[in-house]
Amino acid sequence: MTTQIVESVLAEAEKQDAKKVTEVHLTIGKLTFLGIEQVRFAYRILVEDTIMKGSKLIIKEKSGVIECPSCGYKGTLETEDNPMYHVPTPILKCPECGEAAKIVEGKECTIERIRMVK
Amino acid sequence: MTNLKEVVKAEEETFDIEPGMDILKVNKKLALKNRELLRKHKVKAIDVMGSIGAGKTSLIEKLVQALKKKYRIAVFKGDLTTTIDAERIGCHGVEVVAINTGRECHLDANLVARAVEKIRLEDIDLLFIENVGNLICPAEFPLGTEKRVVVVSVTEGPYMVVKHPFSFMDADVAVINKKDLAKVMKVDTKKLEMEVKEIKPDVKVVVTNALKGEGVEELVDALGL
Ligand SMILES: Nc1nc2c(ncn2[C@@H]2O[C@H](COP(=O)(O)OP(=O)(O)OP(=O)(O)O)[C@@H](O)[C@H]2O)c(=O)[nH]1
Ligand SMILES: [Mg+2]
Ligand SMILES: [Zn+2]
Repeated sequence: MTTQIVESVLAEAEKQDAKKVTEVHLTIGKLTFLGIEQVRFAYRILVEDTIMKGSKLIIKEKSGVIECPSCGYKGTLETEDNPMYHVPTPILKCPECGEAAKIVEGKECTIERIRMVK
Repeated sequence: MTNLKEVVKAEEETFDIEPGMDILKVNKKLALKNRELLRKHKVKAIDVMGSIGAGKTSLIEKLVQALKKKYRIAVFKGDLTTTIDAERIGCHGVEVVAINTGRECHLDANLVARAVEKIRLEDIDLLFIENVGNLICPAEFPLGTEKRVVVVSVTEGPYMVVKHPFSFMDADVAVINKKDLAKVMKVDTKKLEMEVKEIKPDVKVVVTNALKGEGVEELVDALGL
């Protein structure tokens, strides 16, 4: 996954004839499986032999939003903090009517901005 | 430090671009294309994902046996490097395409699109796609199938649902396999079922023993086949 991020940034940089990439801004939805620390770690390793080496990675998290097709409820996704595992459990049950709700936000992984040097 | 930056700026040009590109969306778009193509040819496709050794291949074998009179079936099998599973399924006389994913721990819509080119969609009605054994990554990559099945087994212990809630968010059917071992493993399948339903209330849960074929009929029903 991080491979795809790095490859996409490199492709963009090449299009611009950049000599170096200095900053990459990402938005990661909280409903993706992507762990921010893992992405950072993989990023460091993957950029090693590229023009992205030494670049700053800035990650913004975005909360999940669900919408209920039955009653029209829309709101941020409730996560049930489970003290036993330190993982928030996403609940796709509508807090208003209990029916199954749909995810409308929180499943993205977007490259917002790339800063480079020509 | 500031001085150095000034020097750099004097000689070189720093600039920003805002691609706003969603890495996952590229896959989602391709998945939609797959879905349209499959729909056009009236092929029902089912993505079978789940942890390593949960029983994906065993279940597909049983489903193929149960359904091959009713449907013309093909199977795609994603694996890192081997074709063992593909050969297992091939024994049942249906068309199998092995997709080696190399380093990637999941199938994606692009790999599936390439595998689709290898078969004649006119000649099949039903397509099973066995994803790479991994409960986490495949969840993020829809393939364009009509339904998605997540297979877990009781041998993974009583906590795999609460530990991997994200895997069930996009599932239509959840299979809890190896029910014959539930007692020895001290796993309560009813409790697992409730945990899955808590995460996704409209998911259908089926408890199976893939070796004996128990629960396969219910699975066929749950898949609307
Ligand atoms: N006791 C028991 N064993 C099972 C059951 N289903 C599968 N197995 C065994 O579990 C092992 C793994 O089954 P597979 O069907 O290969 O699992 P898989 O999910 O396809 O595995 P990978 O493709 O390697 O990730 C095999 O030895 C099966 O015989 C079951 O319901 N009960
Ligand atoms: Mg298998
Ligand atoms: Zn509601």
